[in-house]
Amino acid sequence: MPAYQLTVNGRARTVDADADTPLLWVLRDTLGLTGTKFGCGQGVCGACTIHLDGQAVRSCQTSLKEAAGHAIVTVEGLSKDGSHSVQKAWITEDVAQCGYCQPGMIMTAAALLKHKAHLSDHDIDEAFADHICRCGTYPRIRKAVKRAAGGVK
Amino acid sequence: MTSRRDFLKVTGAAGAGLVLGLHLDAKPRPGESAKAAFHPNAFLAIRPDGTAQITVPKVEMGQGVRTALPLVLAEELDLDWSRIEVVTAQPGPDFKAMNTGGSTSVSTTWDTLRRAGATAREMLKGAAAAQWKVPVGQCRTEKGFVLGPDGKKLGYGALAEAAAKLPVPKDAPLKKPADYRLLGKRTPRFDGPAIVTGKAVFGLDVRRPGQRFAAVLRCPVPGGQPRTWDDTKAKAVRGVTAVLKVPTGLAVIADSTWAAFKGRDALTAATTWDEGTAKEFSSAALEAKARAALTGPADDARREGDPAKALAAAAKVLEAEYSFPYQAHVTVEPMNATAQVGADGAELWVGSQSANRALDRAATAVGLKAEQLKVNVPLIGGGFGRRLGTDFSTEAAQVAKAAGGGPVQVVWDREDDIRHDLHHPATLHRLRAGIDGAGALSAWTHRIAGPAVLRSWTGGQKAPSQAATEANGAYDIPYAIPAIAVDFAEVEAPTPLGWWRGIQIVPNVFARECFLDEVAHALGKDPLRFRLDLLGDRGIVKFGRDTADIRRLKKVLEVAAEKAGWGRKLPAGHGLGLACHAYDGRTYAAEVAEVSVVKGRLKLHKVTCAVDCGLAVNPAGLEAQVEGGIAFGLSALFSQITWEKGRTVQTGYHDFPVLRLADMPLIETHIVSSAETPSGMGEPPVPVAIPAVLNAVFAATGKRIRKVPIEDGLI
Ligand code: FES
Ligand code: FES
Repeated sequence: MPAYQLTVNGRARTVDADADTPLLWVLRDTLGLTGTKFGCGQGVCGACTIHLDGQAVRSCQTSLKEAAGHAIVTVEGLSKDGSHSVQKAWITEDVAQCGYCQPGMIMTAAALLKHKAHLSDHDIDEAFADHICRCGTYPRIRKAVKRAAGGVK
Repeated sequence: MTSRRDFLKVTGAAGAGLVLGLHLDAKPRPGESAKAAFHPNAFLAIRPDGTAQITVPKVEMGQGVRTALPLVLAEELDLDWSRIEVVTAQPGPDFKAMNTGGSTSVSTTWDTLRRAGATAREMLKGAAAAQWKVPVGQCRTEKGFVLGPDGKKLGYGALAEAAAKLPVPKDAPLKKPADYRLLGKRTPRFDGPAIVTGKAVFGLDVRRPGQRFAAVLRCPVPGGQPRTWDDTKAKAVRGVTAVLKVPTGLAVIADSTWAAFKGRDALTAATTWDEGTAKEFSSAALEAKARAALTGPADDARREGDPAKALAAAAKVLEAEYSFPYQAHVTVEPMNATAQVGADGAELWVGSQSANRALDRAATAVGLKAEQLKVNVPLIGGGFGRRLGTDFSTEAAQVAKAAGGGPVQVVWDREDDIRHDLHHPATLHRLRAGIDGAGALSAWTHRIAGPAVLRSWTGGQKAPSQAATEANGAYDIPYAIPAIAVDFAEVEAPTPLGWWRGIQIVPNVFARECFLDEVAHALGKDPLRFRLDLLGDRGIVKFGRDTADIRRLKKVLEVAAEKAGWGRKLPAGHGLGLACHAYDGRTYAAEVAEVSVVKGRLKLHKVTCAVDCGLAVNPAGLEAQVEGGIAFGLSALFSQITWEKGRTVQTGYHDFPVLRLADMPLIETHIVSSAETPSGMGEPPVPVAIPAVLNAVFAATGKRIRKVPIEDGLI
């Protein structure tokens, strides 16, 4: 059983688990980073979204083997103190209801903003096409993304 | 309102500051005098450092109670909102009021919390007055300070110890609404910072020393049991430590969630089932029974005038059948609970909307007394009524007991969650309207046929209020019609049911408000004018167990219509539709939807909503509930649970779709505030959304949709 090397939130970690273990469970159960959520395990809801080399990916659909050697950022590593522009916009727009889907939403928003400076509504629709919020926080997600992009003053 | 005088007492030890125990809802135990029966179950603590801790007696599931309830107390006490810590209460023998549902959290605690805040404020003022040797009347409070004459100023922290030694005043004066500084202002969610940094702890995030994880292999047919199984392959999965028979199926215990899932999957192929009594259940069979029940015997929920006679005498009778499907809750956090069970004590960590029931039932299930069990309620990743059920918490206690030793977290996957939901059942509706010779609506009948959800709450018994509960939203039709009959014909269903956001009001108001729209159009009347005329010039009206203020309902209808530009010229393919409802006679909501149908594709453009829930404690929170409630209602237009061979056909979000961001219409909320006691907003926006949209579809296309979900090609 080989051990896998990961970089999680800037820290080198060695994980001894089966190669096919989804990164989601490595983060939550092995490394104790419970900010990344389990919603479906089927790649449909987006609750488990993290950054892999700066790209938003579904950690429930990414195996430990695939993640090994890459830089992983979870919601806990987005900023030290909640000061990332997306987190701040999320607070200002008071987005969260139950809050459970929100870490995934925030990770998608952060990746989106890193790659695109000017956002249209269509860009936002596309980026969140595979995210589910059962509480219906969508109007505020849209506003918060625009705010973080500098669109709302 | 508590009728007992000592609902408040100083309970803190010396040095703890001012600690007030609040006695919410509890009754004296048998044999106890009311005076001896002070079992505080909620607390307010002003610590010597000036911070305040508020214990919230309801659970947070996104509806904002951990913000709204502290706001009520903080207002009366003039607390500094930035120096507050909020904790969730624990249920127990002394505290039986943690049930959180029915949009009642604010209305049931409003009075006690205000009085507690006012009492603490007077005690702090008393302590300051004594220290300054001035009359109390010369002291006032502001943001965590008592202010006295000549610029005197002391923080609550410095006064807390002295205040704790004063007698508790009985009738502390309450603030006038005009003096509110916090209530009515927009306050962001208290838990926001913890949520956006991933620090918030939900049920699934509970991690205890030595914790193991479990998945339960349950029969796909609810109520079925494993007949034979071979656990060799499951036990061979790395990390799996045991496979145990438990009352709900086979529990796979492992050192990680993934290992438990893998072990469970390995067990699936090696298990045979006794599928039990529900194995032939199908949606088609249920629908056939319900259709037969549309004309059979039924229980009255409301009967006024002589509907049969009025229909017979009518110049014209309209009739239609409406249908609403089974629905699932699909909270994004699947069901789960963590339990540790020993010989003489147990502890449970569970996101429960009914923590008291969860406690009692888990204790019984593992053979302990209620006082031997401790229940902790973390944040809840979506409730919507699903977590009023106790199936998942009881199961976790049973699994932990079978596993022995330390804590076990039982995790449901998405398929478990949807298959073993406590579903909202399907209903068929038959409505008839009589139009008299003068063109007036003279009779209205509404027959509802379907399974009774209330039985899930009464241990299977038929409660006297069954017809009213199942016909809620239908029997309280607010329009003045001379003859009305609303009844409920029960059809048995063999799978577990439960409360769902908006409860039976959702299908009932859908049928009612769409059919009323049909009547308006048949009479060539404008749907807004028609409703306003039918509401008439009435004040408070009583129907069955509820009363509603028709003026408040009219007002929200008028505001929503005006703000949405009712009657304006629309682009081609667009339509406006409206609906309204007085929710349990407490919260009034009206919505106007704008949709378009272009080349058969439905687009939801905008919903304009006006609500009146009395005093708006936190407008930001209310608007969030309106947005979320509308999303929840609209989502149901496109989803359903169907049954074949006792199993749900749907297994996840891929075949039980939930509205996505791109589908979400713009929402514009108008709060019509009144001075009335605040009422809830979690559910009221839900039922109105569906008929508003379907009435708009009719306006846009001339097609009347009477069946949810909207089928492809129907538009
Ligand atoms: S948990 Fe990964 S997409 Fe839902
Ligand atoms: S905030 Fe509850 S699921 Fe999105």
